[in-house]
Amino acid sequence: MALLEVERLTKFYGDSRALSDVTFKIKKGQFVAVIGPSGSGKTTLIRCINRLIDASDGSIRYDKEDILALKGAALRHARAKIGMIFQHYNLVYRLTVIENVLHGRLGYKSSIAGVLGMYTEEEKTKAVEVLQLLGLEDYVYRRCDQLSGGQKQRVGIARALVQDPRMILCDEPISSLDPSSAKIIMDYLRRIQKDLGITILVNLHQVDVAKRYAERILGFNAGHLVFDGPPSELNKKRIHEIYGTEAGELIID
Amino acid sequence: MTAVKRNLRTGRIIVKRPTAAKRWVNVVLLVLLALTIWGFLTIETKGTDLGKATVDTIRYFGIMFGRPAGVDTHFGVSGAGSWGVFTAALRLLLVTLALAFLTTLVGAIIALILGLLAARNLTNTRTSNIIKGFVAVIRAVPTVLWVLIFAIGAGLGAVAAVIGMSFHTVGYLLKAYSESFEELDEGVIDALRASGASWLQIVFQAVLPSSATYLLSWTFIRFEINFAVAVAMGAAAGAGGIGFNLFMAAGYFFDISEIGFITYLILAVALIMELVATQLKKRYHIHD
Repeated sequence: MALLEVERLTKFYGDSRALSDVTFKIKKGQFVAVIGPSGSGKTTLIRCINRLIDASDGSIRYDKEDILALKGAALRHARAKIGMIFQHYNLVYRLTVIENVLHGRLGYKSSIAGVLGMYTEEEKTKAVEVLQLLGLEDYVYRRCDQLSGGQKQRVGIARALVQDPRMILCDEPISSLDPSSAKIIMDYLRRIQKDLGITILVNLHQVDVAKRYAERILGFNAGHLVFDGPPSELNKKRIHEIYGTEAGELIID
Repeated sequence: MTAVKRNLRTGRIIVKRPTAAKRWVNVVLLVLLALTIWGFLTIETKGTDLGKATVDTIRYFGIMFGRPAGVDTHFGVSGAGSWGVFTAALRLLLVTLALAFLTTLVGAIIALILGLLAARNLTNTRTSNIIKGFVAVIRAVPTVLWVLIFAIGAGLGAVAAVIGMSFHTVGYLLKAYSESFEELDEGVIDALRASGASWLQIVFQAVLPSSATYLLSWTFIRFEINFAVAVAMGAAAGAGGIGFNLFMAAGYFFDISEIGFITYLILAVALIMELVATQLKKRYHIHD
């Protein structure tokens, strides 16, 4: 059964098309990588799914809900069920690790309880569990600006996990990390998918990483979905189609 | 040979490009210099002996700061002795401090609320422009003028001073606050929106914690400004406090020692505020 159904999704920025007629379905529990050159619409796609960007046309159904029709509290509630992690982590650096992780619960709370930072004991327990899962139990009260890049990204993952999401969107999660931290992060994402059954949709710049981790790869070029298949089908020719380069011009060759 | 320009006389390479604008700036500066010299040469001294005047000035400053003293009757505590005068002066100083504190507090609360609505990343462009335009007008008029404007309705005194000073404080702090909020990384707001957080939750969980030190330090700067203004308001708008005594000592009693006495007190307060501000900053910037 499909968890996410994207149909004929189109996004205009002024006159230029960031996405044209994108259609695909993602099954529950899949690990899907999105690749393509800069400006091909990867980020726009991911941000349209949780409505950080409003799509111009088409439809998105997540968990049987018409995402594009939602407003106000209903939209907040739908967003709460989708986790998201970012290239630049986007943590509140002046706050502690656990405070940042608990931000993932805000979508489920009344405005006042969220404003005052009044979290229930279950929520706090959940946050601690998630931090243990990600190997951050020694950093619970550390301020986030004192963490390394890889640790910050793990806090980002923890924040997404306490939302109890069925899907996590990852917007270039390893682009600011060194290779070893990047591997740790990708391994955690795979574990989350395998052990918790959470769907992962991840934007990547590294084709080799996408091939190693994903079960399915979506390739974008100039806003069009030009490849949709398993990593085994992603041969050199297809890669060059996605990146629009002549054979032999890519760094991975 | 590239087209490097050289000074025709010395043959040295020219680094700065001579432009028409720079030539005009030089001309204006030269004219101003000439006017200044001419002004000093032709100043009307009404027969003042410049040498004697200089000596007198130094002597008066010596009395002012070398022998500071308050007169009991001027502080309304006749026969109380120097300790009585001192405590009376402290009480007046406290009135001035209270005026500064109250106006900073009122201004800060209003500026905080409006500042959130004026920050471009937290509101729409129209609301932001309207609020910012409005407070730009408030800021353009000096604090003293606002006090005098409100004095039309409230009469000269503490009420006009409180309203007028608070008014200008809002204008000043709102700009500072909203710009602090705008410094916040857009991504953090995105992250909280993505997790389903509401506007108020984002404000309290991300915006305020991230900008707290900026807010604190701007508010303190304004408190220092308001203290100075409160002294002046005591003199100019009858707002009470130590400023009024300073005004009386200078313009009515011609008591130079008392001016020195009051100046020392004000200086001490300014110094203490500076120390407190430094301590607060140390405490809150500790991890930066």
